[in-house]
Amino acid sequence: MSWYEPGGAAWTYVSRKLIPARLIVLWICLGLPLIAAVVVGALTTAWVWIAAAVFLVGGAWGSWIVYRQVTAHAWIEREDDLIVKKGRLWRSVTVVPYGRMQYVEVEAGPLSRAFGIAKVQLHTASPGTDASISGVPESEAARLRDRLSSRGEAQLAGL
Amino acid sequence: MTQPDPARPQPARPAPVYRAPREWTRLHPVSPLLGGWAVFGVVGSIALYNVAPDWVGADEELVQAAHWLWRSLLWVILGAVLIVGLAIGIGYLQWRVDEYRLSDEAIEQRKGILFKQHKQARLDRVQAVDVVQPLLARIFGFAVLKVEVAGGENSGIALEYLRLGDAEAMRNELLALAAGVKRAKAEGRDASVNAVLSDDAVAKFPAQPTPVGGEGENPAYASAASLRDVTDGLRSLGGPAGLTETAAAPEREVYKVPIGRLLQSIVLSWPFLWICTLPLWVGLAVWIFPIEFNEIVAVAGASLFTVVPAALGLLGYFWSQLSGGFGFTAAISEDGIRLRHGLTETRRQTVPPGRVQAVQFQQSLLWRKKDWWRVTINVAGYQDDQAAVSTLLPVGTRQDALTALWLVLPDLGDPDPAGTVSLALSGTGDEGGFTPVTRRARLFDPWQWRHRGVRATDRALMIRRGWLVRDMFVVPHERTQSLGLTQGPLQRWRGVATFTVHSTNGPVSPVAQHLDMADAVALLDAQALRAAEGRRRQTPEQWMTAVGIREDGA
Repeated sequence: MSWYEPGGAAWTYVSRKLIPARLIVLWICLGLPLIAAVVVGALTTAWVWIAAAVFLVGGAWGSWIVYRQVTAHAWIEREDDLIVKKGRLWRSVTVVPYGRMQYVEVEAGPLSRAFGIAKVQLHTASPGTDASISGVPESEAARLRDRLSSRGEAQLAGL
Repeated sequence: MTQPDPARPQPARPAPVYRAPREWTRLHPVSPLLGGWAVFGVVGSIALYNVAPDWVGADEELVQAAHWLWRSLLWVILGAVLIVGLAIGIGYLQWRVDEYRLSDEAIEQRKGILFKQHKQARLDRVQAVDVVQPLLARIFGFAVLKVEVAGGENSGIALEYLRLGDAEAMRNELLALAAGVKRAKAEGRDASVNAVLSDDAVAKFPAQPTPVGGEGENPAYASAASLRDVTDGLRSLGGPAGLTETAAAPEREVYKVPIGRLLQSIVLSWPFLWICTLPLWVGLAVWIFPIEFNEIVAVAGASLFTVVPAALGLLGYFWSQLSGGFGFTAAISEDGIRLRHGLTETRRQTVPPGRVQAVQFQQSLLWRKKDWWRVTINVAGYQDDQAAVSTLLPVGTRQDALTALWLVLPDLGDPDPAGTVSLALSGTGDEGGFTPVTRRARLFDPWQWRHRGVRATDRALMIRRGWLVRDMFVVPHERTQSLGLTQGPLQRWRGVATFTVHSTNGPVSPVAQHLDMADAVALLDAQALRAAEGRRRQTPEQWMTAVGIREDGA
């Protein structure tokens, strides 16, 4: 199923709670214009219903993409490095050695907190390193941060 | 922390020397006078607007304003004096609070009147130390000392201005201290500045009967690799305070860029070619489209104020090429790679061993006949002015380019480095042991796919690409920050993927596109292992042995 299978460990997939968290954001963005289009359509010409339909189809498609993306988002902690994979259509794998991590950031907005998930972001000295894990359960996020930090310190190599 | 050792040898002879101050110290009092001259540029441009005749079609309001300003020469002079006075006054106030010192682990700077800033550049994080002389400072013999450290934006320290001699002495001292701190850390000794200073004092004056305690506890010390062992002790770091200043480590010149070649390289660039052929294009346009020649002149004249900035922009490009590459000299010393260049503003860069993160070779079509190459590097810490500081070789022959790479990476981990790199520069397909990209990549990469390839040696990864403009990346394994593998839908269809090495901020971003899927995955796994291995064995001493500064591999 996966396009890249590193040896040594199994993928840890992110929490499915990320799906509703993202869907809420998506449907707030799409739902308001959808409702507006429906109301305007009911009051004036029926042509506006087309816009409503577009929003609806777009929302459905977006929801499907959210589901597909979240179920493809996973990470592995190996002995020397952390691997993050994400994306379905445009997929990517990032390998970050612990010794190269400058700091680890855990962030959680109000919505994420309501779902009990957080985003763990790894920073190296390179601006190109795109290693963030969204939708990590809160307790796991704290443990992951501590584990990554301690491993990073143990293996820290000078630039 | 070790206190300044009272048992240290006393000054044998008094010498007026400069040492990095341990107490908060102000910069040179002339500093406010050296800044703030940009004001004259503003006054000058007002004057320019004013004297510009109407037909150039300058913005009417600007012209009016300029006329108003120019109405009385007296007012203008008075205004200029006032502005300059104000600038100098503010500069003076800023100078009063701008202080620096060498603390136990870092060089520190604090400044700012309204917004206080306190910066620290940790010695073990020093990535490069530059001595920069802007034109005015150069005329009067002053310089800016820039210490670059790895870290976020604006993390570097700039001391504006010091006497040139002071700036250079301080650079030497900082570099030597940084090396000493790193060495002490590696050996598990006390890595504070004081400890390093006294330790090195012992190392330098072993014959003197100095009852400095402690060195006997470290049996490995005698053979410990000291950056400064090679040079004679007297002019080295950590001699008795006040006896000597830290002289520059002796350097060996490696290559130079002759002015003739630099000028030729500018002539052989697309902007220059474009300018030279501009009349041809205009003529062609006139011939094809029935436009009156007079009309073109009228349009060009009327829009002079749009043409002038464009022309200035082009001139600026040529100027930066010329100024950046003028008198370009590369040398090696124990402190690292030394680069000197600049026409009006001169810059002396020192990049310590192993601080270069990635290297890129580039050759445009116009340079191919001459086989000239430009070599750029990533150095962590350099933030602004990337083009000026990231050039290892502005233009050079293939031999120069190979030498430049050797400077950075003396041991390529290949039995025939010159041959390998040569093939890496201009080979195609699987020449030189490269892994080529698959034919399936032709679809979205019709021209370049033949020229793309990757190859890993024991020490570095080489990525080749480019058809008209040839590019080659070299990334030492131990400098890999992280690795990436990406694949879009089209790539997936053709069974290829793109492999990226993430390097630090800089002009070089190595990427190998459209590798066969199996090759890309294998490369990712292999590079992760090689990078881990590389990190375990990196030492600056290896660099010094390999470039011939040190005899043994201690």
